[in-house]
Amino acid sequence: MKKRLGIISLFVIIFIAFIITWNYSYLEGLEEADIPTYDTPTGNFIPAEGGVFKRFNNAGHDFSNMPIDENHQRSLDSYYDNRAYHGAPPSIPHPVAKDRSLGGNTCLQCHQNGGFVEKFNAYAPVTPHPELINCRQCHVAIKTNNTFREFAFTKVQAPEVGVGANNAMPGSPPMIPHQLQMRENCITCHSGPSAPKEIRVSHPERINCRQCHIPISNEKQQMDASTFLRQFNNSYEE
Amino acid sequence: MPIKSYLALSISGRKEELMTALRNLHQCEVVPAKNQDVLALVTDTPNEKEDDILKEKIEALDSLKLLSLVSGFDTPHN
Amino acid sequence: MNKSATNRRSFIKKMAMMSAMTAASSMFPGILFANEQEKGIPEDANLDWKKGPCRFCGVGCGILVGTENGKAVAVKGDPNSSVNKGLLCVKGYHQIMCIQSKDRLTHALVKKNGSYVRTPINDALDLVASKMKETITNHGKDSVAMYTSGQSTIPEGYIASKLMKGAIGTNNLDCNARLCMASAVTGFLTSFGADEPMGCYEDIDHADYFVTWGNNMAEMHPVLFSRMLEQKALRGAKIIDFATRTTRSSTASDRSILFEPQTDLAVANAICYEIIKNGWVNRSFVEKHCSFSKGLTDMGYGLEDHYEFTDKPQKIDFEAYKEFLKDYSPELVAKYSKVSVRDIKYLASIYGDPNIKVVSYWCMGMNQHTRGTWINNLVYNIHLLTGKISQPGNGPFSLTGQPSACGTAREVGTFTHKLPHGVVTNQEDREMAARIWKVPVENIPSKPTYHATEMFRAVDRGDIKFIWVQATNPLVSLPKTSRYRPGMEKESCFVVVSDVFPTPTSDVADVILPASWHIEKGGLYGNSERRTQYWDKMVEGPGETTPDAWMFIEVAKRMGYGDLFPYSKENHVEEIFNEYRQFHEGAKHGMAPLEVLKKESGVIWPYVNGKSTQWRFNAKYDPACSNGEDFHFYGKPDGKAVIWQRPFEEAPEKPDQEYPFWLNTGRVIEHWHTGSMTRRIPVLHQAMPNAYVEFHPDDAKTLGIRNGENIKITSRRGSCNLPASINERGLPTKGQIFVPFFDENMLINDVTLDAFCPISKEPDYKKCAVKVEKA
Repeated sequence: MKKRLGIISLFVIIFIAFIITWNYSYLEGLEEADIPTYDTPTGNFIPAEGGVFKRFNNAGHDFSNMPIDENHQRSLDSYYDNRAYHGAPPSIPHPVAKDRSLGGNTCLQCHQNGGFVEKFNAYAPVTPHPELINCRQCHVAIKTNNTFREFAFTKVQAPEVGVGANNAMPGSPPMIPHQLQMRENCITCHSGPSAPKEIRVSHPERINCRQCHIPISNEKQQMDASTFLRQFNNSYEE
Repeated sequence: MPIKSYLALSISGRKEELMTALRNLHQCEVVPAKNQDVLALVTDTPNEKEDDILKEKIEALDSLKLLSLVSGFDTPHN
Repeated sequence: MNKSATNRRSFIKKMAMMSAMTAASSMFPGILFANEQEKGIPEDANLDWKKGPCRFCGVGCGILVGTENGKAVAVKGDPNSSVNKGLLCVKGYHQIMCIQSKDRLTHALVKKNGSYVRTPINDALDLVASKMKETITNHGKDSVAMYTSGQSTIPEGYIASKLMKGAIGTNNLDCNARLCMASAVTGFLTSFGADEPMGCYEDIDHADYFVTWGNNMAEMHPVLFSRMLEQKALRGAKIIDFATRTTRSSTASDRSILFEPQTDLAVANAICYEIIKNGWVNRSFVEKHCSFSKGLTDMGYGLEDHYEFTDKPQKIDFEAYKEFLKDYSPELVAKYSKVSVRDIKYLASIYGDPNIKVVSYWCMGMNQHTRGTWINNLVYNIHLLTGKISQPGNGPFSLTGQPSACGTAREVGTFTHKLPHGVVTNQEDREMAARIWKVPVENIPSKPTYHATEMFRAVDRGDIKFIWVQATNPLVSLPKTSRYRPGMEKESCFVVVSDVFPTPTSDVADVILPASWHIEKGGLYGNSERRTQYWDKMVEGPGETTPDAWMFIEVAKRMGYGDLFPYSKENHVEEIFNEYRQFHEGAKHGMAPLEVLKKESGVIWPYVNGKSTQWRFNAKYDPACSNGEDFHFYGKPDGKAVIWQRPFEEAPEKPDQEYPFWLNTGRVIEHWHTGSMTRRIPVLHQAMPNAYVEFHPDDAKTLGIRNGENIKITSRRGSCNLPASINERGLPTKGQIFVPFFDENMLINDVTLDAFCPISKEPDYKKCAVKVEKA
């Protein structure tokens, strides 16, 4: 009995010693551990406006050195032809590969980085939002040119382009005449061989587009500018 | 309301002069070629009569070597 | 109906044009028509282009202003300026639009029975002079004060200093640069003994890494950021963004590292710890060119009136410094800075690698800091330990926020303790000023008086009876305006405001003087890279608008100091600059003569023997180096730069139960400072019509706040209502909110804390505790 107690207590002591030693070395380890990870205080959010820089690091996309192919360039007219109104998601003007797929890789093969497509004799337009992979949620194919009933939808006038149309002063950088939601990544539509020729930017390598080009009007609620014209309570105005 | 487009060839080296002269006519839109003495010209006039007058005016410009009509449109009167 | 007809016509015209072009291409193979985007460019043949500097931030871009029939109608970047090489930002391109604003101050206004009466400018200046004189007679010299600006031109700052310090004989002169650059100045002076960066913007073309410390350059210094992005694309240079908020700069950088407010002090020390631990110290550089010092700690935060502090530096040795750094191992610092050990080691390895060229950039994040001088010192420590300083592509670079914060505030010295050369406490400097100003040396008092915050406290207390505010808007830009606005409104102080537009500051003025905008007068500005830029008057100002320097001179004459100000109205800019240049003669600060400045798009000083010195303290580039070594930090008597032992200390006010959020304030790309100019530019106002409060999405979710909802922010000092902005322009860290301060209709500075760095006296706008609730 004594012998057995002795053995048990010996094991208990060894066990306790083990726990203490282990604990100690664990704590030591914590002190000097190489990488205690802390959550980045911001989590995984990226500010919505960050989109402007998003595509510049993409492999295979050298924005400072984009080819221009005059024979296969798009025009703004054909760009708008493919949309119900300016700002609407464009339809798919070509047969789709897999009718059952969401889009995703199938569409992105051509529309992530663009490139010339023999079959359609055109450059694939680059999407400004490749992170959204359920393409066909918004983009649908055109299977007929008829309408179900007679149709009287007037397209909203698209913003004018060209020098002078959106500038505040002669020679000043044009402002952005369209909404930016889903289209924050400027260079996808404004540079490269698939960009409509009227809106192709001459300096895509500048990267920080919104340093000079800002929206013509804020999408949020507008304040009356007269707020800033101070009123003097007096004989100032003669 | 006729709209007509022409190619205008200037006497060599006098493209700028021709362009300014055409722009001053107001009813003209001009796009110059970069590497030739050629201008693409579109005229927009309210009626046939004025169109004729304008054409005469243009042909009287002495920096102009040759004017050739490319296409013409006329919108219906209503 | 009409509209669609026109559309149809324009469509047909387009078609007609197309067919003409097609025909041409078949007739003349290879013909090219003007780019479609260039069609209809207004021919700017009639415009007259004149060079000058941009009116906004401290980058100091060169601009060309196009004038037509005596009106400024267009702006473009100056391709000859090595600063911006023809590029500007949206503010710069549209700057001249503000001068056409309908509420422009065109005539002097004098307050009579509570309303402003239009007054001829000469009568208004008579009144100002007589008030100033009367106040001095009744209450003494130190009862009058002048508060100027980093937007004042060099001649304006010089005349203000000469009038206050030389003629009247009071040091009651300070400027708004105290709110933005003072910590940079004291940082330079304590570490190097000579103010302003040693490098220049050309560093961007050489550096491999850019580390930005609490600095959103994509919005605040966009032209420089674009130069960095260009190098990134061309050479693969890397941008590391070290900040408390995710911004456009973070999204464009190669790595974004976020830290807990105030812990930049600890992280900087941890980087030095790693550099020493890994043997990355440039031993020969440190032995030859550096000494070690420590100063006082637990300095306080200047929250109480009459607070005073003088540092007592004490020499230490390398071993003592190494011992001090033991508290700053990455493992210990990571715990409270929330920067991972890996990121700290990563930063240290960039600075430590001898084959990598690094430039550190910072602006208000480090300067508006209750330990602003310290954090400036600490970043210099990193560059000094590794010897990465004063070489092309290697060096610390303190950016400025105002067009002439360097040229006027720092070089001319419109601070209470400064003279155009040196400080008022130095006998020799006072003698030099007295000699050039032709005043008795006893006229210049030897003791500094009020720095900006204390100056407005003195107005509130009633100690200052007359204040002249020029080209700045303190009642929007001071911290804790909830105290200083009622202070300025008191009857005890006569307030004169000279400005271009009415502002909340001019609202409390007794006399409002109409100032010329920068292109309506000639002048000189000095930018962040020590570049002095001259411009001529380009257009006439409206009404009775007058250059600020000339208003000072007129008042000086009326006060009986005419002999000291013998300048002519037509040529005063040149006459004043030539007089001022005498202060800086020599290889250390020599300024280019006017003939050169008129010709060039800005010239960097020291300008020695017809050549600019781009990298100071480096014998290869700087003729002022005289010790025979590669480097010579000649600002210090022993020729050595100082590595400072500066600990981490907590912020004066931290979030707690009652006020659980950090409040950070700053700017946006569209607006500059208090927005008195940029908000009057329709393009900018339409893009950013009002201020907002940014939340982290998780905080917004917890509080149930939706985008655009009206939020009330309250601190122990005041409150402010703003719409919420979630995940838009920027993204503060959890537990932090951010508000831009440009909006005079939503005064966030009613909420901020007027604690300041005890050494530089610069307030901290980036940290205080607030609570938020739906309004």
